Amino acid sequence: MGTLIIQIRSGTMMNMDVNVMVKLAEAAVEKGHDVKIFGYGEGIMAIKEGQEPKRFPNVGKSLEELAKKGVETSVCETCAYARGVKRGEEIEGASVGSLTNNLSVMVSEGDRMITLAR
Amino acid sequence: MAESIVVLVNKPPYGTEEAFAGLRLSLAMLVSGVVGRSTCILIGDGTMNAVASQDPEVIEMPSNVEAVTDLEDFEGEVYCVEEDFKGRLDGAEVIPNVQMISWERAREIIKEHDLVTTF
Repeated sequence: MGTLIIQIRSGTMMNMDVNVMVKLAEAAVEKGHDVKIFGYGEGIMAIKEGQEPKRFPNVGKSLEELAKKGVETSVCETCAYARGVKRGEEIEGASVGSLTNNLSVMVSEGDRMITLAR
Repeated sequence: MAESIVVLVNKPPYGTEEAFAGLRLSLAMLVSGVVGRSTCILIGDGTMNAVASQDPEVIEMPSNVEAVTDLEDFEGEVYCVEEDFKGRLDGAEVIPNVQMISWERAREIIKEHDLVTTF
């Protein structure tokens, strides 16, 4: 089994990139692969606690469920702070990390990387 | 397990943050010391990031010239597809640590890496 890295750079609403991310992660986990998700740029919004979208899937809840299955989710601290998202405001099982400390390790452990961005 | 990553930059330097973000990602991989090789290839509109005379102070934006030259400090390779550059900015002075290459060479470099991401 391999390790899939998903780099997400789209926000949580207005397009379906994060929904594709969740489906990809779920499918990979189901097949026995390790999945690691890194949010960069607008992609950091996926881990913000308190998401309450009406009629659309709740990405935060999905990531919490994926975390229980071992999916590691981290986001860029610089990008998060730039958007007013502080450490401590993340959903259960996710972390505000950094490119240098988190994505680099994910990359070194990864077999494939999928980039979702606009 | 990946030992290398190549960052393809196809967005222009300003108007979106994408190119800057890609260059910074590449730098972070080198700074981490965890990833052995992190390479940038400027393609398409992304080749405009190679122009030495960028002056982003006028729009109060961070400099993509700095983002490119910072890579040199960590021995990061930065390539630019010459035919894409010439089609847009023939004759413009290029940042010194950027190496012009053909598309054929770009494809070879991409194949040398374990992971690819695009900005």
